[in-house]
Amino acid sequence: MSRYDIAIIGTGPGGLEAAITATIRNKKVILLGSKDLSQKLSRAHEIQNFLGFPAVKGEDLAKAFQGHLDQLGIGITDERVSAVYAMGDYFALQAGEEMIEATTVILATGVVQGKPLPGEEESLGHGVSYCATCDAALVRGKKVAVVGYSAKEEEEAAFLSEICPEVLYFPMYKEVGQLPQNVTILEEKVTALENQDGKMLVKTAEMGYPVEGVFVLRDAVAPGQLVPGLETEGAHVKVNRKMESNLPGLFACGDIVGTPYQYIKAAGEGNIAALSAVGYLDQLKRSAQNG
Amino acid sequence: MVKKIGEAEFLAEAKTADVAVVDFNATWCGPCKMLAPVVEAVSEELDDQVKFYSVDVDDCADLAAEYRVQSVPCLVLLKKGEFVSQSIGFKPQPAVTSWVKGNL
Repeated sequence: MSRYDIAIIGTGPGGLEAAITATIRNKKVILLGSKDLSQKLSRAHEIQNFLGFPAVKGEDLAKAFQGHLDQLGIGITDERVSAVYAMGDYFALQAGEEMIEATTVILATGVVQGKPLPGEEESLGHGVSYCATCDAALVRGKKVAVVGYSAKEEEEAAFLSEICPEVLYFPMYKEVGQLPQNVTILEEKVTALENQDGKMLVKTAEMGYPVEGVFVLRDAVAPGQLVPGLETEGAHVKVNRKMESNLPGLFACGDIVGTPYQYIKAAGEGNIAALSAVGYLDQLKRSAQNG
Repeated sequence: MVKKIGEAEFLAEAKTADVAVVDFNATWCGPCKMLAPVVEAVSEELDDQVKFYSVDVDDCADLAAEYRVQSVPCLVLLKKGEFVSQSIGFKPQPAVTSWVKGNL
């Protein structure tokens, strides 16, 4: 497998500008995100302060961005990245079933809305898991609960129902599809997760459900969970002015690094992040030559 | 070096070592595969102070249960067989090294 110079995760203004700058600087780039770019952007009613585009509609700005990508021949790999592993001199990105390798990474995934459930983080690895395929074998034959934040998590609940006799499914959205018989759908709002001597209690406004394991499955994961070992401040990645995180070779830009949540600020930071990544790559190359 | 062991060797070696780090993992677990080379590198670093072992939770379900391994990968640090600390999930090499050193 060939290794990319720069893997950029996120297709909002930060990620796109990073991809454009890195491509102009002749780096081997992979841009991971959504073919529709950013939902937040395309749904924006009107943006009044984006330089060169007075009073532009979000979807028109998105079209202009797409045109810019097309002109430079930058494609988007439409994959959800579930984890980024710092392997020392490179990063391994879990994208679906595939592992992608890159020397540097730029995180531009936007800010995660919504907080973890009370008790969720405390019990992570002790009854709470974020990955059904990873931890399924450890709950074989046990009663488990799934808290699903979108309809695509129903697949995970169905998968768990093959190895667990009973699965409680808590949809945190409306309109649940068909699920296997041993999956009980409970349309109650989960308020907290409690660890009681190694067993879990899923609390809702109505009552408590004792289970042996809880899978909390969300679309977006917090940056510290996406990149184990990454230093964060609340929902944001801690970076310096060069957009460097605490992990050498990993940069971040856009809403994920903090307020103000502005398109032009995200784009500017994407530019810095890409140039910092380019500088880092050049330095690696020089030390390899002198090495 | 990280030595792959089963239950018998666990009792004979890991439980009697002054300091042992046991990497509980599984073949089907992506993060485990990523953590393995990291643990290997840490073992080279701390070779003279700590023994490193790897245990497949599917082969040694009883050991996994005994050490309350509910999520893999899970590193368990033992001193003469006594549980001292555990580290869950993938961590970069400097973080694993400082976790081990912090528990020496």
